[in-house]
Amino acid sequence: MEKIISIANLNYTYPDAKQAAINDLSLDIYKNEWISIVGKNGSGKSTLTKLIDGLIEADSGTISVAGQIINEDNIWEARKKIGIIFQNPDHQFVGATVEDDVAFGLENQGMPREQMVKEIDRALELVKMSDFKKRDPQSLSGGQKQRVAIAGVLATKPQIIIMDESTSMLDPDGRKTVLNLVQQLRKEQDLTIISITHDIEETELSQRIVVLNTGKIVKDGKPVEIYDLGTDLRKYGLEEPFSSKLMSTLRDTVKLPEGYLSEEELEQQLWKLHSNM
Amino acid sequence: MEITFEHVTHSYDVNSPTANLGLDDVTLKIKNGLFTAIIGQTGSGKSTLVRHINALLKPTSGTITIGDRVITSDTNNKNLKPLRKQIGMVFQFPESQLFEETVEKDIMFGPMNFGATETEAREAARTVIKLVGLDESYLTQSPFDLSGGQMRRVAIAGVLASDPETIILDEPTAGLDPVGRKEIMSLFKDLQVKGKTIILITHNMDDVANYADAMAVIHRGKLIAQGFPKEVFNNQELLKNDLITLPKSAEFAKGLMQQGFHFDKLPITIDELGTEIKHQLNGD
Ligand SMILES: Nc1ncnc2c1ncn2[C@@H]1O[C@H](COP(=O)(O)OP(=O)(O)OP(=O)(O)O)[C@@H](O)[C@H]1O
Ligand SMILES: Nc1ncnc2c1ncn2[C@@H]1O[C@H](COP(=O)(O)OP(=O)(O)OP(=O)(O)O)[C@@H](O)[C@H]1O
Ligand SMILES: [Mg+2]
Ligand SMILES: [Mg+2]
Repeated sequence: MEKIISIANLNYTYPDAKQAAINDLSLDIYKNEWISIVGKNGSGKSTLTKLIDGLIEADSGTISVAGQIINEDNIWEARKKIGIIFQNPDHQFVGATVEDDVAFGLENQGMPREQMVKEIDRALELVKMSDFKKRDPQSLSGGQKQRVAIAGVLATKPQIIIMDESTSMLDPDGRKTVLNLVQQLRKEQDLTIISITHDIEETELSQRIVVLNTGKIVKDGKPVEIYDLGTDLRKYGLEEPFSSKLMSTLRDTVKLPEGYLSEEELEQQLWKLHSNM
Repeated sequence: MEITFEHVTHSYDVNSPTANLGLDDVTLKIKNGLFTAIIGQTGSGKSTLVRHINALLKPTSGTITIGDRVITSDTNNKNLKPLRKQIGMVFQFPESQLFEETVEKDIMFGPMNFGATETEAREAARTVIKLVGLDESYLTQSPFDLSGGQMRRVAIAGVLASDPETIILDEPTAGLDPVGRKEIMSLFKDLQVKGKTIILITHNMDDVANYADAMAVIHRGKLIAQGFPKEVFNNQELLKNDLITLPKSAEFAKGLMQQGFHFDKLPITIDELGTEIKHQLNGD
């Protein structure tokens, strides 16, 4: 597997802060991977994305993007490969209208006008915001803002997409649609997805979950390995998946296997018990 | 205070080609002392609805009554302070609510604006910061040097500090870690049990099922359903037309029904679901 991002012994402390936000963190992310980054409020997730995108500079340690250690001279090259959807979409809007806003990223790439119009339409269509092209992004509803922010990043066709809680204000169906869209693009266009989320269901889409705590990686594994931690997850501000919570309420009188079961597996178990009655 | 909407319509920029109705003839009663959840798709009008309650927005037509206060299209902006003291609102994007140099000053702003002394406001700040799961050391920090979830907590603390009778929460748990979310939802529930009225906008159906006494569903600016969560989540008409999403427990129960289990009504919480399953497996 090809490494697309490689982070080694990274350290960062905000000016005047007592504690490090990122503490000797090392992490390899592979091409075409969907990786979830989870952890408590304040554990360092957004800080890590800002470091990867060169918005803040590490105190020590290195970050390589596509094989190149990033520094002041080549950060612009690296940034072209990375699209970040920030936690608060308001911070991302620069245009007076939705279409201008999406255009901004493309203008930066020096795309010809005609092609740009097509790309804007395509991106807005993908997130179902075409009808809002002429609107001021500030006048949109919370979820609509998030959709436009997503379109802005998709339009630039980055190789790596970092989503910092970028579906937190979408309704359940809308969230599913957007996540499926991202999944499809990942497969078709060989993208790498880094998803920061507090939604345990969203992590089911990923191949790997990394748990951050006080700026350090405390767990790194496949989703089932992480879910298998059970109530230990709470130490890191997380909760058990739905199936585990249901199993805990059933265990006193219903005989169930130990460890984590997915919802489908639990359904099968319950069905077996039901048919044996 | 009882809150009623009577035929409330709100039209954002009437002249625009997309002349969109934020609210379309909404008639709704929000009962005093209850925990009411408001749900609906992205852009359906939820934030627009609640902004009428503290008169941040005025209706284009119709009336809103809050206790003995009546708001119509020609209500002016004078003398709204008593209303805003009674109705606290946590906005959808918490950053938009933070503005002072320190977290402490930010939290103290509300109480002092409504007449508390500096000492009282400082005391309130120390109490509420702990309620939202942050320790006192955060009081001296700038609210802009916080993580997203920490900002959200400070915004909530700021509203609680004024001790309003009615608390409106516009997706207050977006961005909170799951443990924090549960703590904060329990805190709101506690406040309601002690007598406050809570109005919660959320996309999290499990929170609706676990905490709300009543719910309202908004679709394209219209109120399309209201009632007890258990009833609304069992409303076949809404389900058939994909107008609501189910809580996880109800979704799981639907799957079990295809495996021979039977539910008269879909359970909406894990406890209800667990009890039902045990009952059907053990016959007790
Ligand atoms: N601009 C800043 N100045 C000083 N400290 C900051 C700043 N931004 C964040 N911090 C602190 O750094 C730590 C890590 O913050 P970060 O935003 O990376 O957390 P996070 O994991 O993204 O949390 P959340 O889930 O709440 O978004 C926190 O303790 C936070 O208070
Ligand atoms: N200032 C404004 N000018 C014009 N249209 C607006 C304005 N504010 C909101 N709207 C529109 O009114 C509709 C309802 O918006 P509202 O913010 O109430 O939705 P919401 O239900 O809160 O959605 P979300 O869940 O995405 O936050 C949306 O289509 C939105 O684009
Ligand atoms: Mg963050
Ligand atoms: Mg809203």
